[in-house]
Amino acid sequence: MLRAVAVNGNVVLDPGWIYPEVAELRKALAGWSWPDARAVLDRVEPAERTELIRIGAERFDLAGFLHGVLAKDPADAAAAAMLGAHFTEVGWRIRTRRPAQFVSREQFAEFHGWLCKAEQVLIEAAARHPEDPAVWVCRLPTARGLSLGGPEARRRYDRLAATDPHHVPGQVQLLQELCPKWTGNWDELHAFAREAMLAAPPGSHAGSLVAEAHIEHWTDLPEPDDQQYLADRQAELVEAAQRSIWHADFRRTIGWVRAAGVFAMAFSLAGDLRSADAAFALLGNFGSERPWDYLGDPHTVIPARRAEARRTVEDAR
Amino acid sequence: MIKQFESDGVPVLLAPATGPSHAGLVFRVGIADEPLARRGITHLVEHLALHSVGVADYHYNGATGVEFTYFHMRGTEKDVATFLNGVCAALRDLPMRRLAAERDLLQAEANGRTPGVAEPLALWRHGGRDYGTVAYPEWGLPAITEDDLRAWVARYFTRENAVLWVAGDALPADLRLDLPAGARRPAPAPSSALPGTPAFFPGSPGLVAWDAMVPRSTAAGVFAAVLERVLFRELRQEAGLSYIAKTDYQPVGADSAVITAIADALPEKHGAVLGGFVDVLAALRFGRIDPADVAAVVNQRAEALRHGEESAARLPAQAFALLSGRPVEDVEDALAAARAVTVADVADVAAAAWDSGLLMAPEPADWAGFAAAPLASASAVTGTAYASLEDSGERLVVGPDGVTATAGGTLTTVRFDDCVLVRAWPDGARQLFGADGTAIRVEPTLSANGPQAVAAIDARVGPEIRVGQPPREPGSIPRPRPRPVPPAGLQAAAIRVQKVLTGFRRASTRTQLSLLLKVLGSLLFAGGVAISAVALARGDSGAAAGILFLGGLGAYFAHQVWTGLGVLRRLADAEEP
Repeated sequence: MLRAVAVNGNVVLDPGWIYPEVAELRKALAGWSWPDARAVLDRVEPAERTELIRIGAERFDLAGFLHGVLAKDPADAAAAAMLGAHFTEVGWRIRTRRPAQFVSREQFAEFHGWLCKAEQVLIEAAARHPEDPAVWVCRLPTARGLSLGGPEARRRYDRLAATDPHHVPGQVQLLQELCPKWTGNWDELHAFAREAMLAAPPGSHAGSLVAEAHIEHWTDLPEPDDQQYLADRQAELVEAAQRSIWHADFRRTIGWVRAAGVFAMAFSLAGDLRSADAAFALLGNFGSERPWDYLGDPHTVIPARRAEARRTVEDAR
Repeated sequence: MIKQFESDGVPVLLAPATGPSHAGLVFRVGIADEPLARRGITHLVEHLALHSVGVADYHYNGATGVEFTYFHMRGTEKDVATFLNGVCAALRDLPMRRLAAERDLLQAEANGRTPGVAEPLALWRHGGRDYGTVAYPEWGLPAITEDDLRAWVARYFTRENAVLWVAGDALPADLRLDLPAGARRPAPAPSSALPGTPAFFPGSPGLVAWDAMVPRSTAAGVFAAVLERVLFRELRQEAGLSYIAKTDYQPVGADSAVITAIADALPEKHGAVLGGFVDVLAALRFGRIDPADVAAVVNQRAEALRHGEESAARLPAQAFALLSGRPVEDVEDALAAARAVTVADVADVAAAAWDSGLLMAPEPADWAGFAAAPLASASAVTGTAYASLEDSGERLVVGPDGVTATAGGTLTTVRFDDCVLVRAWPDGARQLFGADGTAIRVEPTLSANGPQAVAAIDARVGPEIRVGQPPREPGSIPRPRPRPVPPAGLQAAAIRVQKVLTGFRRASTRTQLSLLLKVLGSLLFAGGVAISAVALARGDSGAAAGILFLGGLGAYFAHQVWTGLGVLRRLADAEEP
């Protein structure tokens, strides 16, 4: 397989270059070695394991391999979660991320079929391992894509929270569901993000949920109200950053680049370039596709925003 | 201890009990035996039999069920003997003068009855026959004649097809079960209207219902009770999504049982109730069962068995079992069987139940592994077509083999050799019911040549399935609404252009680009043809070959564009996803 060129301009997006565990997992999957893959997955923290399973699932030719793993051991929760996530990924790629009116009927039918396949695997996995957070996280995008409704997504999230109340990868998924473009509303979304942040231990990635919720809200507002909207939330964003990325206990576990990137983008859009510069400084030349793709190609957007913040801070000196 | 012997040729089950004596006479006949065109006949017999003994007002003295009909009485030995002797005498000579009055009474009773929430499951699983007929009202009543009643009694209300149970010290001295001779009638084999299971069909908001056919066993009964405990815990106590979460276990015939589970939901929460329901079924079938749940259920059963033995409450169920062709079960054996049920046994039942499951839910459940039960018939009959006067998309076809109704591209066919009931109104309206559960309504006022269609149907329908209906109020006979005038000329053209534009907007970028390239292609080749034509006119005879070549390619591209425009129009017609 040809590895996508990850370094482009001045930003590294490929998680394989950022997190050694991702590279290790990819290597294990490329060599069809499930024991090696499990060795990585079993070593990391639950939230990292979920992130790894979902990143691993992006590989294009996994289905036969993982079916084989499950045939040998139907009780392998990680293999089931990854297979479910893989089918979901295939489905979403066919659907594309465009608004529903730009997706054809055929695309929707195929998307639906793949998500049904994913659910078959994940229903069994959830039945066998109700305490596995990754399984429940994987069942959130399927619920969304299958239009199972807000209450069902919330039920799945509650099952997740029953085993891990601060599981950020799942909270990011529920946050999407709570957006008005899916089944929620702004009040519900912001309340959830704030409560998740306050309930999480200090320095948790969960603080980024507050910033991400504001970015989602910002995308829905017309110009020029949108910039004012974020500018008005500057204090709130700073508080959230202090509780997570700027907290002494903030840890660079898998997912941290996205968490810091969310703040960098929110500060940048809010016009708080000093704070944005601080978030960019934390990131170095690391970046993530989401949420930067809201602004265009992350390869160009991130360096541009970063340079702008740097320049402003230097000019102020 | 249940004693078993015969009296007047009727098997008797006797068990001691305290208090006044209690006895029941059970017959192996019920709704499942009724053809749809005589639906209600067993209930009518029960009412007529009770009327003679003067207690028709006390309904608890008689009951018509799916497989069994029984008459029971609690009182002194003398009361019991008088009651049952009266029932037997009435069955020998039904009070036919009461027929019209009892029929009206039953129809009134039916009007006031609330259908069971799970009844549609029976219809979808079995259709309009045997175990599916419970889902239909007593539509046979108007057609039932005295001869029908006599034949029904002679077939089913016989001593060979009865069992008497008595909770008391001895048979009442004056009891005389004077029943005609006949034969034991086994319960009908359950038919299936489903091409496959697990299947789902759309139901009403606010309810998720599911049933399954499994082999009859103690473990299956334990599974049903465990399922109720888990559903109640997950959906009501933990998630707070349902108020009711219940299950039921009913034996079917000698060897099968149907397990039904229902959970209600607020309309806006039904997605989560379905999700929770699916997860509970999955947990049980993959063996994730709390042994404490099984133990609790087994203890409850043991308690109920012991209490039932003391109070003789096991008698009716044992009478049913005997009539189904199963031996009377000793209480110790029943206790041992209950205690022997393991978690693995329950998981095995759960897996079998899942495979045979039928789900009724407000939302599609394909994602959970249920196939959509067919909402339409697979094929149409050939015959004379009758267009709808209301809707150009609807029509009726009546042929020698049956009737097909088409509406919105959906077929519904009832074949005459598979037709189980035709309700016939004096104004010509007909309603045909197929054994597979399909139904077609024919309103002659709404079809072109409607009366001719009705005549063609009537010519093929025998009296045994036809049930005449009382006249309708003139106001309730439908009249065609005016048909919308289809747009014509410029207006139609404008609509087509608009559709193409909408379709273009909805199409993927790839489709858009490919269409634009095809348009460009046809224009280029058309230009080429024009240039060659000019050359030909100027005397360049070689240009003829160019015209042929370019024209051919141009025509190919034009055809591609035409097809593409069709795709866009369909895209525009498609519902907003």
